[in-house]
Amino acid sequence: MTERPLPPPEGAPVPLPPPSGAPARDLPPPAGPPVDLPPPPEVARVGVWHQLNPKMLLVYPVRTAGALALPFLIAFLGVRGGSPDWALQFGGIFAGLAVLGGLIPWFTTRYRFTETQLQVRRGLLNRSVVTAPLDRVRSVDLESSLLHRVLGLAKVKIGTGVDDTRIELDALGTAEAVELQRYLLTRSEAVDAPPPGEALTGEEVPAPGAAPREQVLAEIDWSWLRFAPFSLSSLAIVAAVLGVGSQFVDEVEIDSEQVQEAWGWVVAQSIVVLVGALLLAVLVGWVALSTLNYIVQWWNLRVVRQPGGTLKVTRGLITTRSTTIEEARVRGVRMVEPLLLRLVRGAELSTLATGVGQGGTTKVLPPSPREVNQAVGATLLQEDEPLTIRLREHGPASRRRQLVRAQWTTVSVMVPVLALTWWLSLPWWVPSGAFAVLVVLSWLLGAETYRNLGHALTARYLVAGSGTTQRERTALERAGIIGWVVRQSFFQRRRGLATLVATTAAGPEHVEVADLPLETAIALADAATPGLLDQFAGGPPSPPRHHRGGWGDL
Amino acid sequence: MTTGDGVEPQQAAGTLGTEATATPVPEPARGGLTLRDPAHRVCRRAIAYWTVESLLWSGLLLVAATVVYFFVLPERWWWVTVLYALVVVEFVVDVLVKPRWRYAVHRWEVTPVAVYTRTGWLSREQRIAPLSRVQTVDTKRGALMRLFRLASITVTTASAAGPITIAALDEDEAQRVVAELTEITGRTEGDAT
Repeated sequence: MTERPLPPPEGAPVPLPPPSGAPARDLPPPAGPPVDLPPPPEVARVGVWHQLNPKMLLVYPVRTAGALALPFLIAFLGVRGGSPDWALQFGGIFAGLAVLGGLIPWFTTRYRFTETQLQVRRGLLNRSVVTAPLDRVRSVDLESSLLHRVLGLAKVKIGTGVDDTRIELDALGTAEAVELQRYLLTRSEAVDAPPPGEALTGEEVPAPGAAPREQVLAEIDWSWLRFAPFSLSSLAIVAAVLGVGSQFVDEVEIDSEQVQEAWGWVVAQSIVVLVGALLLAVLVGWVALSTLNYIVQWWNLRVVRQPGGTLKVTRGLITTRSTTIEEARVRGVRMVEPLLLRLVRGAELSTLATGVGQGGTTKVLPPSPREVNQAVGATLLQEDEPLTIRLREHGPASRRRQLVRAQWTTVSVMVPVLALTWWLSLPWWVPSGAFAVLVVLSWLLGAETYRNLGHALTARYLVAGSGTTQRERTALERAGIIGWVVRQSFFQRRRGLATLVATTAAGPEHVEVADLPLETAIALADAATPGLLDQFAGGPPSPPRHHRGGWGDL
Repeated sequence: MTTGDGVEPQQAAGTLGTEATATPVPEPARGGLTLRDPAHRVCRRAIAYWTVESLLWSGLLLVAATVVYFFVLPERWWWVTVLYALVVVEFVVDVLVKPRWRYAVHRWEVTPVAVYTRTGWLSREQRIAPLSRVQTVDTKRGALMRLFRLASITVTTASAAGPITIAALDEDEAQRVVAELTEITGRTEGDAT
């Protein structure tokens, strides 16, 4: 794979200038035959400054009005007692100005393609020009909110680099956007294509001229809906709904007489029935809400491997998302099994890639059967083992450390319990009972942490397992490891343990293998990146000092 | 210190970037493999520098604590005395022990293919980054550091988790190391991800 040095991201500290002898930044890779670039479509015609789609002039006012609605409402309600005419006039003028102001971005935003770059010019007073080399486009995402879809628009997000900074064009016509997406990706793919004879990742890359052939890796299966209630990701929405709801509760005028009557009725009823009904209502509400959220988020999910080595994930009912990643940029996957989901053998899958998505991760599968996760993961990684292989355990010292460390919970809960006992002169069995329960619970959690802990090394991947209630398994491509950190806290050193961190540019930028024996850590790092550690190897292994039990493991 | 002269870029690039398909599945079972310490210590003047730094910060805390303890408090409760004693002990450790300990632990090495450092005092951290993946090389020289003619070097890779800092080198040596690092990394192709 031929790669070139990156340009500095906009606004980031400027790295050292390339020293003499380094290839100039924008030159094509030195080796390799000249590549045939596809001719640019109309939307990407060279040298012309384009404007965003004029239909955006409809979108901006609606958006501004939406953002203003709540403050306006509150302001209106707030001055209800005063002169409503005045409030209306003031609000009207204000809203009008805001809507007009909202139109400014459309008039000041222009974008242009040159032979090598995309340039975006913004700003009325503070002009800024953002440029992105076309060869370094890593991902092109299309996103359409409901409003966008009604008008046939799509927001284009172009990711170029290592950082999260992405260029947004909000918005183009859907057809243009799709065309642009295809053009940008085929272009960077054509430039990035390895010269013949050099294997990319052991994967056969279809020649650019080959007949387009899409391979569907995963599609939504509505039987997966049964997993929706077991995923707590909808909780955020519940919180948001409650938050918004609570804002209006204050506005509702409560008739105190009615309240007293209601209270009398409540007391008259059996409290048990009430609580039962409440629980049932919460449960039913939860199931309905989480299912709805699942449908909205994952409607029409398709994970497709496109000709030319890109991966495309499309999903969404109201806001449609389409994420396209160069597959060579996908450095691994992460499978997450939260506690509830684990009970029903479900899991979630995301990819770790460079310069794409939220924190480098892109969700690929919703809560779905583990086997499906493993199968899709295997196709993505082109290796079966990483998500199914049995992880190597980290040994008795590591187990003791997890068990002892888990007791921190006991300590931190017992302190307030003891204080309360003393304060309220509670009977002695309250603290001792709490203590017993906590010790057992923490022990179980510690044992669970150890069970989830582990590592493995396959032909191309480093696999790390972690988590207590939420089990995680991360597979990171060994070729994507760009450094090692061996960390030993004071207490780890007493046990001869270490935490090995593989640093990478993809996803969360580091993968941790926690609490494994120091020697295993070094051996693992050495095996994962052969040749790097040899030059620093040496010295006879010093026997780890074992301190059994006690406080040596906190 | 090793110099980077005459190293082929391929050699530098080949450390980590190679696809692993050719290698058999290795079992991390090479028992007894350890890392030796990096070859070089930081500049000897670092001890003095760290001592002065500790004097300034911990000294400030000590002065504040002393004023409060002797002049502000109406009564010297036992637990305040304990706290005050802790501050005093912390000051002594910070000024007398920590700088020497850090000096003993902190080591670094630059080879034609990698940077390797060890830092910490109660905890330890060893960091290794192949030069083929290095993106920027920064030097930092604070006012106090300049007084001691020291400079620190930070080598960053494309990972936010991977910066490697060599603290408190002699200024001239730092300059040499930076020159060498930029020279080696400049010869490496690729976007270092």
